[in-house]
Amino acid sequence: MNPAPTIGVIALSGELDIGRRAEMQEALRLPAAHGAMLIDLSAVVYADSSILAELLRFRAEADRRQVRLALLITSRQLSRLVEYAGLSEAFAIFDARGAALSYLGETPA
Amino acid sequence: MTGQSELRINRRARGDAARPLRHALSAFMKAKEVEPDSVDDIVTAVGEALANAIEHAYSDGDNGKVELFARLDAGGTVVIEVSDQGAFIERGQRQGRGYGLQIVRRIARWVSIDTSSGTTVSMIFDAPDAESFRDVKAPNLER
Repeated sequence: MNPAPTIGVIALSGELDIGRRAEMQEALRLPAAHGAMLIDLSAVVYADSSILAELLRFRAEADRRQVRLALLITSRQLSRLVEYAGLSEAFAIFDARGAALSYLGETPA
Repeated sequence: MTGQSELRINRRARGDAARPLRHALSAFMKAKEVEPDSVDDIVTAVGEALANAIEHAYSDGDNGKVELFARLDAGGTVVIEVSDQGAFIERGQRQGRGYGLQIVRRIARWVSIDTSSGTTVSMIFDAPDAESFRDVKAPNLER
């Protein structure tokens, strides 16, 4: 039986707009040690599409390295932003931390 | 919401300019009792237009101004213009950046982009005020 992957967490907060793009790029770097990553956006109160570009870049890198990825989104504004961009199916998105961690903790088939 | 109200504000088009402009727009609409979910959606759309305007300034290196104009009409309509002095760049032309205008078009009832002198993105939104929203959600049950 394969062991459950270790889960890394990256948390972003506040207002994520074009003025914080460099900070987002810096924060959303895939660490080497983890088999699964949770991007915790539960403290984000506003985001523009700058974050979507960074999340897609992060997802591409995670896919390349076979790292499982989940997003934790609790803000209506960010949830709607993802929906309006047509990206609701592009990520595993959860509104509860426990559910996201359970998903990430499952051993991939 | 009664009568007509306007907001006009501008900032140097730097990366930190979008935030105070969004906050001013949000406060303006909340003061006029626009329904909160509509405020969120309109600020989301306008935030994309502001990001685009600021990106022009970065790419041109001219650091010009970005101006936000908003008008609330009595009929529950919000008219907004975001203007800058740069050339319009559809963010879809850049890797992974194609969502701004798509998001604006999903939220706004009408969108127009005028590039004849700088760039002006004009948008019209339906924005029920909180009072009429309550009227819809809570019908009078008295007979």
